Amino acid sequence: MSGRISVPSNYLTLWCCYLLNYLCFQISVYLCTSGMGEVILGMPGQWAHDYREKADHYTSKIGGLPDWPDLDIPVSGKLLLCDLCGGKLCLMAQIYAPLSMAERSIDERVIYVLGCMKKDCGSNPQSWRVLRLQRCKQDIESKDEPLKAEQPEEESTSVAEDKPTSQSSSVKVCDDEDSDSDIDLDDLAQALEQAATLASNSKKQDGTKHTRKIVEGPVAKKLIYDLTTPVLPCFYIYSQRNSSEGRMDKANFVGGSSISLKEIEKSSGNESEGESWEGEAYEYDKALGADRTYLKFKKQLDAYPEQCFRYSYGGNALFPVANVPKPGACKICGSARRFELQLMPPLLYFLQEASDDSSNFSIDGWTWLTIIIFTCPKNCCSGTCDEKSGNSCRCIVEEEAIVIQDD
Amino acid sequence: MAERGGFGRGFGGRGDGEGGRGGRGRGGGRGDRRGGRRGNKSEEEKWVPVTKLGRLVKSGNITSLEQIYLHSLPVKEHQIVDALTKDLKDEVMKITPVQKQTRAGQRTRFKAFVVVGDGNGHVGLGVKCAKEVATAIRGAIILAKLSVIPVRRGYWGNKIGLPHTVPCKVTGKCGSVTVRMVPAPRGAGIVAARVPKKVLQFAGIEDVFTSSRGSTKILGNFVKATFDCLMKTYGFLTPDFWMETRFSNSPYQQYTDLLSKQATKAILPPTEEIPPVEV
Repeated sequence: MSGRISVPSNYLTLWCCYLLNYLCFQISVYLCTSGMGEVILGMPGQWAHDYREKADHYTSKIGGLPDWPDLDIPVSGKLLLCDLCGGKLCLMAQIYAPLSMAERSIDERVIYVLGCMKKDCGSNPQSWRVLRLQRCKQDIESKDEPLKAEQPEEESTSVAEDKPTSQSSSVKVCDDEDSDSDIDLDDLAQALEQAATLASNSKKQDGTKHTRKIVEGPVAKKLIYDLTTPVLPCFYIYSQRNSSEGRMDKANFVGGSSISLKEIEKSSGNESEGESWEGEAYEYDKALGADRTYLKFKKQLDAYPEQCFRYSYGGNALFPVANVPKPGACKICGSARRFELQLMPPLLYFLQEASDDSSNFSIDGWTWLTIIIFTCPKNCCSGTCDEKSGNSCRCIVEEEAIVIQDD
Repeated sequence: MAERGGFGRGFGGRGDGEGGRGGRGRGGGRGDRRGGRRGNKSEEEKWVPVTKLGRLVKSGNITSLEQIYLHSLPVKEHQIVDALTKDLKDEVMKITPVQKQTRAGQRTRFKAFVVVGDGNGHVGLGVKCAKEVATAIRGAIILAKLSVIPVRRGYWGNKIGLPHTVPCKVTGKCGSVTVRMVPAPRGAGIVAARVPKKVLQFAGIEDVFTSSRGSTKILGNFVKATFDCLMKTYGFLTPDFWMETRFSNSPYQQYTDLLSKQATKAILPPTEEIPPVEV
């Protein structure tokens, strides 16, 4: 019943109506997302055999010890110490996040999220530290990144001739409420044109596309003999694109209700007592303990209940509360920081499950709902890098993390 | 290292869980439907808790909803309520279409009202709008479970047997509708209109007199006013509550201390035995 639209006379609107059934999903996504925001989820993979085993800096993992690449200058000590208590920080997440932009591509770019495990520091956002380590290269490499995570082509539609395929199949799913704003037909036409140009652009040159290497596990399982640093249980991450709205409906299914649609129609037909439910209007979701923003957050989580982090360079973060402080500006170049990734609560659950055996620490001091990491949009270097001479140097820059607590 | 539970099950379990959902009960009439959790154990195990309270419930540290109500902790995951209550029944009270006028005609969405309850002091009401009926019902059940509240019952006169009616006169309001509930003697039954009667049955109240005022034709408001009234039963200060409260630790503090095995200066919970001192 929702898809019924009377046949208009205007050719443009007629064309749009045919496409509406296919494109409603994708177009509403284009209206919602900010261009290049596709979301990649970090799903949990194998556990490490030993929590202190060494991987390489191309691995994405949670816990364990940080794998520094060969650095000219080793990582300075105070970057690895907690601001509040002075103790050693432990690695929470190490994410390999290369970038390929139009001007330059940074292959060796890793983000380390470090946190303090002491009870008092855990709930204080100042005890978290995010480091971005990258190697700046001057030469522009080829556009075709050989290592792609997944190619979900199953959702590409073949309606229009220049329909975007790879981009539309892997975009973030919007909520019912967001996409329920009027899809004005003129806006629809505009959006279709935009989509077409995006598609042609993406085929000509790679836009800002981000690749992730699938890592099954490191080949050489050497141990790092550093017994002073606290270590979290370690597991590896594989990436997956956030897709399929149908999956969310299934995930939301509560295996309890045995109500069928036929019963409802029967019951609604039994209105013989003169009651009619009048005057109902649209109502936003509300529960006693959860507000609308949180319910949307939970809905995204329920689609992939095991997601450990969400990666979306330059995209939109998923906020569980309405008022979130804005990120600051990069200390080196002064530009406003942009969202890159956020850590999600299933991570804490997995770590807690694993830490039941070993008693080195307690993660119960951590009660965050999400940790949102903002990075410099220009990927600037710490100043000691000499780009003109073409030397490749490694620099390590501190970025910003906003911790949202679970009250 | 010993094998870890979560991941292996997570990979293989995804396919299994989706198969077990086919059997939904069918049948005529508008009677109560029992929440069929018996056949769907695999889905419950796949719950990955998001909040701290969820983690405590999943690990079994919290065993009843009453511990959550005592400290007024917000319940943000419906699986918590599923795990802590038995026999939670749900029923769809009404599905109404809600229309919005757009340039391309009317856009219809469906609004579902669902009430859940165990008939023994816990009831929840959920309202959800969605484009499809099934989505609205599913969403409303989840919202109803998130809003489960305790209902206080008392006596009309003699304190014989179990409490059967509201403890005192309470009134609830939503929009222009006010609902007033008055204690009734045993055997009076629920004297109310059809719609709030259902909510009161799910709450486990056996006898009550009600009186309503305002535009009760707006049945959405009527149901919410009844629910608000039930929420207030535990908010009413009666002489039973005059004794001073002995405060106890919130589950968050209680279990943080117990689980941190490393801390040498941990505050021992009062139930632990003091080892005997050797003379």
